[in-house]
Order: sequence, then structure tokens, then C-alpha cells
Amino acid sequence: MATTQTRQRKDTDPRLSDDELKRALYLVKLCRYFDERMESLYRQGKLPGAIYSGRGQEGTHIGVVLPLGPEDSLFPTHRDLSAQIAKGLDLKRIMAQYWGRIDGYTRGRDGNSHIGDWYGNKTWTVMSHLPIAYPVACGAALAYKRRGEPHIAMAICGDGSTSNGRWHESLNMSAIAQLPVVWVVNNNLYAYSAPNELEFSVPTIAERAAAYGMPGVRVDGADVLAVEAAAREAVERARGGGGPSLIESVSLRWKGHAGHDPAKYVPKELLEEYMRDKDPVKILEERLLSDGVVDDQEVADIQGRIEKEFEDGYEFAQSSPFPEPEDFSKGLWVEDGYWTSEPGRGGGTEAS
Amino acid sequence: MAQSQDTRPKEQDVETGAAGHGAEPRGKRTEDGQATYLVAIAEALWEEMERDERVYLLGEDIGVYGGAFKVTEGFYDRFGADRVMDTPIAEETIVGMAIGSAMEGFRPVAEFQYADFMTSGFDEISTALARVHYRSGVPLPVVLRGPSGGMVRASSFHSINPEPWFAYSGGIKIVCPAFPGDAKGLLKSAIRDDNPVMYLEHKWIYRRVREQVSEDPDFLVPIGSANVRREGDDVSIITYGAMVHRALEAAQTLEGEGISVEVVDLRTVVPMDEETVLRSIEKTARAVVLSESYRFVGIAAEVASTIAEKAFEHLDAPVVRLAPPNVPIPFSPTLEDAFLPGVDDIVATVKNLSAW
Repeated sequence: MATTQTRQRKDTDPRLSDDELKRALYLVKLCRYFDERMESLYRQGKLPGAIYSGRGQEGTHIGVVLPLGPEDSLFPTHRDLSAQIAKGLDLKRIMAQYWGRIDGYTRGRDGNSHIGDWYGNKTWTVMSHLPIAYPVACGAALAYKRRGEPHIAMAICGDGSTSNGRWHESLNMSAIAQLPVVWVVNNNLYAYSAPNELEFSVPTIAERAAAYGMPGVRVDGADVLAVEAAAREAVERARGGGGPSLIESVSLRWKGHAGHDPAKYVPKELLEEYMRDKDPVKILEERLLSDGVVDDQEVADIQGRIEKEFEDGYEFAQSSPFPEPEDFSKGLWVEDGYWTSEPGRGGGTEAS
Repeated sequence: MAQSQDTRPKEQDVETGAAGHGAEPRGKRTEDGQATYLVAIAEALWEEMERDERVYLLGEDIGVYGGAFKVTEGFYDRFGADRVMDTPIAEETIVGMAIGSAMEGFRPVAEFQYADFMTSGFDEISTALARVHYRSGVPLPVVLRGPSGGMVRASSFHSINPEPWFAYSGGIKIVCPAFPGDAKGLLKSAIRDDNPVMYLEHKWIYRRVREQVSEDPDFLVPIGSANVRREGDDVSIITYGAMVHRALEAAQTLEGEGISVEVVDLRTVVPMDEETVLRSIEKTARAVVLSESYRFVGIAAEVASTIAEKAFEHLDAPVVRLAPPNVPIPFSPTLEDAFLPGVDDIVATVKNLSAW
């Protein structure tokens, strides 16, 4: 371990060890690389279905998940695959999911980032009606509180979801019952094409927390360590019985709502500013380099490891069989036993 | 088993007025062991809460107040605020919390003050509750209870039969008991089921129908099983919920006119017991499908098409639906009576059909 005297960690949270900082760098770089490569495959027509890029928001996704333990549950959106990767999902199985294969987390029952792994990494299998998971997070948190367990639930949504009634119902409910929840709003400035000023009439989303009786904080999503610090405080408050908190983490959605959307409604200057000055991956990498936590060789090694993992994941996905067609209705009822037995693997690897 | 005794309620036996809600106590079994439908439902909840500490209730005004219809009267004192949880008026959140706590091992039973307000939680029910297990393999042992149905002058927003909306979702079992014994046995089965179950209790039946009900703590009525309530040879009436009682009344009238009617009580709408329905058609060759839910794209339409598709060779007459039109449920007694299938309508329909 490098000695602290040789680094200037003036801006770096001293609670994080070198290993934790390196892991954060690995995760933001992995998620960026994954997002770019998957978009490329999508544009080449090699990826079926849809993609929902979270590029530019890795600071939020990684920052909020770093303080979570394995027993804490995460309720993300389809924009938050990076958060699911940070929570522990396996790249191989994620890619099998994108290609509709049996080894995907939903066994081909859903695609892309509509993914989750409740029994492994305690993540909700994402539904498109994004605030739908907010009340569900209340229920998980209620369970922890009733049983006196030290776990918390974290839910992520976008600024768009804050316009929906369930967002408000859930914040209200969590405050009334003092549930161990952390509410994260990934404010990427646009709900599909609608800018913030068409979504809410107060200056920030964070200040709405006061109306429900909980702390609210607005952080810069470009700074993964600032996000991590805010999230850690909220997680510890919830874990200690202090009730829910709201975190608004601000970034810009660099890409469209989904792969088909060129997002021409985002002013060019705004996008350029964010990509130039508020790139969470670049900011963290430069800081860790200048603080001496990593050197150029280590960064190159991290990048090499990421590219290898991607290639391995891609190969795994292509060799994983499709689900057997006649299984499409299985798993509707618990008693059919589909989810408690090994699925058929005779579906072949050629799409029809 | 066929039961031909007169189960029709006598209006003087009804323990409360109009829609059945209000401050009146829930009541209890008679000395000889008969229970109303309301008492049977409360017994099922109580016994399952005693049996399994993972079972808890959540909903509006169910705690200190004991619920709008007094189903949970006394529960708060026995089980406490954690297990009889009063919530804000937030139906999406009630359903969502039930889902989340079920994912973590609890077995929630959520009460809707009226089944009409299930639509205020529609997305959490039809999108989340119905699809979590299929997509992720996480079982959701959640029961959603609510008083459904009309016949009590409660008008448009307190009389709905919501089962077709949710039957369409897939992934949610739906039960609609007509008798106290079935109400108790089906609710206990619903709470023990690992799938989501919507339990629709008909508010007209609550205090109007009374019968002997088992006190065995493991008395269960299986979900997905219909019951031939009255055996007959000439025409089958396939129905469920409060309409079972009208069908039985019509059958009694028709018996005096020499027409033998078989009454099949579906009891469960999803999954439907096709076998019992088809067996009845094989016997009678004529079917009236009677429902209180709407005619167009309703449960009756589904049953009728199943019969037409699978029992065509046994039929001597067209399959007839008898169900209200898809218009809001009106208040005024003359309007509501005209809107709902009445005993006279059933008698006339059966007579027409038996002429084939």
C-alpha cells in the first residue's frame, strides 16, 4: 500500500482505501467501456432489442452503490445498469441477457438492462414503469425494520419519475414509518425529451425532501467520491434507525433516451460542456493519477482487464443457448417449478 | 356436492343496512355454529395470523377502527400495530409495500376499502405483482382483498366487479366466493398460496348469508376448483359471486315449472376450473353464463367461448351470456335493478334456452 505522505489526497475522501479507490476506478471505466461497446454492437445490428445508455452518469451509479453491503437491496431503473454491475452482477450473465439467452438473469424472459438478481446480489429486476419500484423498496425496508435487521433498501430513479405519484407516495410513506431507505434521483436533466423546467417548478429536487420530513442533498454526479460520501451518510443514517434520505445527483444524459433517439433536443453546447468538464470517468482517473493512487501502467492494466472481461462476456453470451421455445409460459406460477429447477438448454445458439 | 336447500337470505336476517359498512360490530357465530360470510372471512384471517407470524395485514383504517366493513375488528388489540398496519390513502404504495415485504419473506394481506379502489393501485398490481415471478423467479405470496359487487345501492364507485381487469394480467389468481364456508376455506388457501391472489368478497353477501362453517384450523377450499351447487338435467347456469344466489333462486322457481337447472359456482375465476364446467355441459347440453361483471370482454365471455370451443359437440343450443352492459353502475334502485341480471331475467333466459 502506498504511503499517504507521497500523495496529495486533499480532495479524496480519506476514509476510502487505495483498494477501494482502485475498485471505483475499475467500475467507472468498466461501465463506460461496456456502454460504448454495446452501443457499437447495437449500431452494427449485432444486438437485438434496445439499449438504454447510462453514459455520463457513472459517477452517480457507482457512487451510490459503493457504501452498500451484500444484504442491502437495490431497486434501480433500466438506465442504471452500471449500478447493478457495481452491486455485483456478472458481466457474462448480463450479456447473455442482452442476447436473449438462457444464462441471462431472466432466462430470456426479458432483455437488456431490464435485469436484476434478487437472490444473488439483491437487485430488483427492472420494470419500465420506472417509479414502480419505489413502493416496493418501501416494502423491503419495512421487512428489515420489522425484523430488526441492519439492512437498508436503496432505490434509484430519474428526474422523470419524480413527476409520478408513486415517487411522492413512497417518500411520504417512508418518512411516516421511518423506513431504512435511501432514495436516489439520478437527475440527468432530461426525462426523455422533457427538460427539468417542464418537470418541476422548484429549483432542485433535493429540497422536496423537507416537505416529507427527511434530509435531502444535491450532489455533483461528475464526482463519484462526492456522491459516495453523500450516499454513505444516508446509508449509515438509515442503517442506524435514522430513517430515509433523498439524494439528488446531477449529471447529463449524454445519449438519447434509448438507442434509437439522437437526443437533438439537448443543446450542443450543454452536451459539450458536460463531456469536456463533467466526465465522471475522466475526473476520477485524473484525480487518482495526480494523487498517486494509481500510475499510468495500473490504469492500462485496468483497461486491459476490462476489455478481456468484455470479450469473455461476449463469447459466453454467444455460446449460451436460447431458451427452449415451448418453455415460454413456464414460471408464471410458483407451482410449475420452472424457477426452482435447471432450465432446458436445448434451444440452440442460432436465432430464428 | 349438490345442495338443494334454500340458501336465499331473508331480508330480516340482514344485520345491517345498505352497503354494510358503518359502525355496526362484525358479529359472531350463532350458538349452533353458523357464521356469516363476514365472520368467516375474519376467522380465516385470524387463524392464519395465529398460525404464521409472517402473515400481516396492511390497509386503510384496518387498525383501531377495525376496517370499513369491520372485518378486522379486534385484530389490532390481539396482533398490534405492526401486524395490523394502517397506511395512508396510497393504494399504489400499499400494493408495492406488499410486494417488497413478500420479496423479503413476509406474507402480506392487503385490504382495499372497496374493490373499486384496486384501480388506484392498478400499475403495481397488473405490471409488478403479476409479472415479478415470471421474470425473476421471486415468489410473491401476496393477498389483495376487497369488497366487490353491487346490489346494495352503492353506485358507480363502490360496486365494481374488477376481476376481468386483473384476470387479463396473468400471474394473479382470482377468487370470488359466494358462501361463508368457501369464503373461509378459500381465504386460508389464498394466504398459504405462494402466488399473488386477489380475493374478492361480495359486500352484498357479507351479512346476508349464513351457514355452518368448519372450525378446523386447516380447513381449506382449493383455489381453482368449481362447485356444482345444485344438480340439474336441462340447463346449466355457470356463475360466481352474488349471482350464485340469484341463480339458485331462479332454479327453484324453474323447478316448479318442470325445468331442472344445474348451478355451477366457479368460486375461482383464475385459474378457471374448465373440467367441472364442461362436465356440466356434457350433461345438460345448454349453458347460461351469468356474471355480475360486464358482458363485453367479461368473465362470462371467456367462459362462454371456452364452452363453445371445447363442448360444441355436446351443445343443443347457443351458449348465452347474461351479464350487465358495460356502463357505469347506477344508483337509483330502479336503475340498478334494471342494470343487474335479476331472478326474472335468469328465469326467462333459461326458459328460452330450454325451448331449443
